[in-house]
Amino acid sequence: MKIIFHILLLFSVVTLNARDYYVYCTAESEDEVALIRFDGKKAYVEKRIPVGVWPVEIEGPHGITVSPDGDYWYLSMAHGLPFGHLYKYKTGSDEMVNRVELGLFPATMGISKATGLLYIVNFNLHGGHSEASTVSIVDPDEMIEIERVETGIMPHGSRLLNNGLRHYSVAMMSGELYEIDAMTMQLRRTMSTAPKKMKMNKMDHDKMKKGAMDKMKHKMPPEKPTWVYPHPNDKLVYVVNNGTDNVVEIDVDKWEVVRTFKTDKAPYNCEVSRDGKLLVVTYKGAAKTGVWNLETGKEIAKFKNTRKVTHGVVISPDSRFAFVSVEGIGKQPGAVEVFDLKKLEKVDIAEIGKQAGGIAFWKMVD
Amino acid sequence: MKKLLSIFLFGFCIIAAQEKEEVKKDSLHFEFEPDSLFLHIGETGEVTIKLLNQDGELANNPFYAYGRPRRALESKPRISDSTGIAKVTVKAYKPGKLSLSVRSISQKREDRIVDKMVIQVPYPPLEKIVFDDPQSKVYVGTAVNYSTTAYDQADLVRNNTEVTLTSSNSDIADFDMHGNLNANKSGKITITAAADDIVESVDVRVVKNPVRKVTLSAESDNIRTGDVLNFTAKTLSRSGKEVDGVPVRFSYSGKAEYGIGLPASGMLTAEGKFVAETPGLYAITAHSSGYSARKIIKVIPRNVQKRVQVVGHGTISDVNTSDLWVWPGIGQYKGKDFAVTGTWSANGEAYFWDVTDPSNMIIIDTITVDARTVNDVKVSEDGTVCVITREGASNRKNGFVVLDVRNPFDVKITAEFNDDMTGGVHNVFVFDNHVYAVNNGRKYDIINIEDPSNPFRVGRYELSTPGHGVHDVWVIDGLAYSSNWADGVHVVDVGGVKFSEKNRSKIQFNPFLAKAGQGSPGNPVKLGSMADRNGHNHAAFPFISQSTDKFYIVTGDEWGNQFGMAGGFHFLDFSDTDNPKESAVYQVPEAGSHNHWVHGDTLLASYYQGGLRIVDISGELLGDIYAQGREIAFFLSSDPDGFMSNRPNVWGTMPYKGLIYFSDMNNGLWAVKLEDDQTMGTR
Repeated sequence: MKIIFHILLLFSVVTLNARDYYVYCTAESEDEVALIRFDGKKAYVEKRIPVGVWPVEIEGPHGITVSPDGDYWYLSMAHGLPFGHLYKYKTGSDEMVNRVELGLFPATMGISKATGLLYIVNFNLHGGHSEASTVSIVDPDEMIEIERVETGIMPHGSRLLNNGLRHYSVAMMSGELYEIDAMTMQLRRTMSTAPKKMKMNKMDHDKMKKGAMDKMKHKMPPEKPTWVYPHPNDKLVYVVNNGTDNVVEIDVDKWEVVRTFKTDKAPYNCEVSRDGKLLVVTYKGAAKTGVWNLETGKEIAKFKNTRKVTHGVVISPDSRFAFVSVEGIGKQPGAVEVFDLKKLEKVDIAEIGKQAGGIAFWKMVD
Repeated sequence: MKKLLSIFLFGFCIIAAQEKEEVKKDSLHFEFEPDSLFLHIGETGEVTIKLLNQDGELANNPFYAYGRPRRALESKPRISDSTGIAKVTVKAYKPGKLSLSVRSISQKREDRIVDKMVIQVPYPPLEKIVFDDPQSKVYVGTAVNYSTTAYDQADLVRNNTEVTLTSSNSDIADFDMHGNLNANKSGKITITAAADDIVESVDVRVVKNPVRKVTLSAESDNIRTGDVLNFTAKTLSRSGKEVDGVPVRFSYSGKAEYGIGLPASGMLTAEGKFVAETPGLYAITAHSSGYSARKIIKVIPRNVQKRVQVVGHGTISDVNTSDLWVWPGIGQYKGKDFAVTGTWSANGEAYFWDVTDPSNMIIIDTITVDARTVNDVKVSEDGTVCVITREGASNRKNGFVVLDVRNPFDVKITAEFNDDMTGGVHNVFVFDNHVYAVNNGRKYDIINIEDPSNPFRVGRYELSTPGHGVHDVWVIDGLAYSSNWADGVHVVDVGGVKFSEKNRSKIQFNPFLAKAGQGSPGNPVKLGSMADRNGHNHAAFPFISQSTDKFYIVTGDEWGNQFGMAGGFHFLDFSDTDNPKESAVYQVPEAGSHNHWVHGDTLLASYYQGGLRIVDISGELLGDIYAQGREIAFFLSSDPDGFMSNRPNVWGTMPYKGLIYFSDMNNGLWAVKLEDDQTMGTR
């Protein structure tokens, strides 16, 4: 019996060592998507896939996701004339299948496990930041836009509950969280992403620069939420308040903020590990990545990234590794940095094209 | 053994169950009641849709229903109940063959069942048919074309309407299948246009044709390729009196000077304008009333080709280069010459060059801003201020940067302007202490830089068309020429220079200046426009032909296909500002157009992989400029040490002091000249 146990143990160790992780990551200022393989120790750039149709204009690949069955990856191309597009590629061969025109600056997206539809925010980074934008709902099989649901000003982040029934997004300039019924395609609820006690009248107006108030004529809340990610238990969602340096935990049933995590400077994206224990937050302004224990509500590790402008994060389904995209500045290459969430240490880095941004997990192969 | 058998049986059961499941999936199907619909615009209808299993029972699986195309057919609700039944109300908003699509909801793609039903929405009934400028008098022995326009009850033009033209007496005159009325003998007829139940008629008098002779004349019988020759045809009676209103048709044939297979090609308009592309002998014929006249024209080669000599080149080997500007130094640097180039998808740098000795151009300063692309660079008329654009800023707050270039050896950043320019500034122009900044590809903002350290917005120009965009803006004499993709070129008065005794010059031939005087930077006023049906309008440059005084706007395309960049330059005749017409095009078949400059009667064309092209655009312009041998020279700017070795990719060009400067995206800055004694340049 002991021998069998040791054989099994050895087998599992060998298996773990032999596991390859594949992620796709966009390079927004390179018009490329990189396919990265990580073998548990080293990260390899397997491919740099040119995307877009204009050889001499930057079209800006921004958001990316992989279909639940892993057969296709979807990419938002932010810049258009003027409307951006959603592209569909086959995984593996990475050949383009189709594209569909959406709104202004389509960005983050998610696919519902319940409906199979793709929900993507039209960020509308352009313009005066005074008009509400939309979430486009796309049939990813036929690449047809079925519906647009109006949410807030500069919507960003687009994720669904694990059961696929509710869609969440935030709007930077509205400071709100939006819940869409994935089935009926209708906006169900909205709420402020401000931590419970934080109100506008607590802002120190004396310290504000002259003219700053003029720009806040439309009462732009200070939170500037940039991301939302549901807990695997489907009872909680985490919203990243980029403008006030915190992440708020929201109880979906109560529809209220239940905990606030004070973070480092300018948090941007986050993801909860599949086992529900850890929250990884990228700190865009601090060029760091934080790992939070969701049970204790404490930050248990903080990694300095290799370059500035930390962007996105995706965690392997086995909850073992976090893959963090870091944009860099100017002509500096973008990077995907890999962190071991068990040992809480940096493992490796893969350099890709400029302005690494959207990142999506494709598969694990034993 | 027993264990093995158990495992085998267990596996078999799983496979069998899976097969059974697949059979079940395959048997799901949709049922529509009714199975098709016919709705008029604005009408609603109801459809009951069921998702059934192989036994015809409800599948207990929900599904989606949605109208296609979006915004043409509204459908509610979007989702069935959990048993797989939905009563969907549809409302038609647009005509055509629409569909109500359905798709079952399942996690696995292969499990999804899709179907659709057709909903026919007819176009609104026709309202009227209008004859387009019909002739009421037709001469025997001639053919006159009649065309019509059909409008529906929504007052929309219905191009797809089949309109039948008939004559009340086919012995007198009858239509062919192309709408030409052939007049056979004198008499009165009524011609009728009919479609559906709409009828429109016009009375036509077919009169005796007095024409007994046709004459044909032209200003010359010896021209070069590309020269436009105007033919005048006259129809004369037996007594030699000119008969007006008798249609004349022109045709040509010819024999090319060179080769057996080379055709004698050219263009002959309905008005009698002829331009040849190949040298040779051409016979131009005018036909009318069974008579004709012919004139033989000799066409000789245009012979404008010249060789290009490289004067200087500054290699940029580590990044892509973008646009350029060249200007004369001021103050203590008077007598020296300088250039600035931007960088593309790189580190946010602009390079400043001393090009006083263009054979030894050297970088004398570098400005780095928070950007990845400095797409455009411009210097003010007085040489004090340079403006560079920013895209790809690390904080996504893009815009433009104002630089003090009075000392180009030590350029200083004076101010940044980022307000409401998050999406990036792609192109700018500096004119009369104002920056015209293409903002987010949607509009251009006008920013006062009288005090360069304190720029502030004074105006904005934005179109209102759906999905509008703008790519570039160029300002001359107080008129802004913007390039707006499908919306084409727009001419806007931002403080147009009015005519006066003092400024009487060639600018008087710009008809837009005659209309100017209402606008200012704070109040831009549109004076004219011309849409681009291809949606490729990328750049525009006004052009007063020095040889003809005609006013054109030369627009450039930017677009690509699977073979790389493509497109050309279009000559839009704006002599009549309300009725502009494209008269000619210069298009290199194997390359893609980018920026351009018109100097005198010469087009300097940046042609990406096609290098720099220098084109003779003197005289009247008609037809295919490229085929007419008007190309003076082309230069492929290869550099083995470039960012991309030996791969020309010309971005922008500018004439300066007898030289042609241009930037190559793959290898930096160049100065070339034509090997002749004609001086080119603005100064």
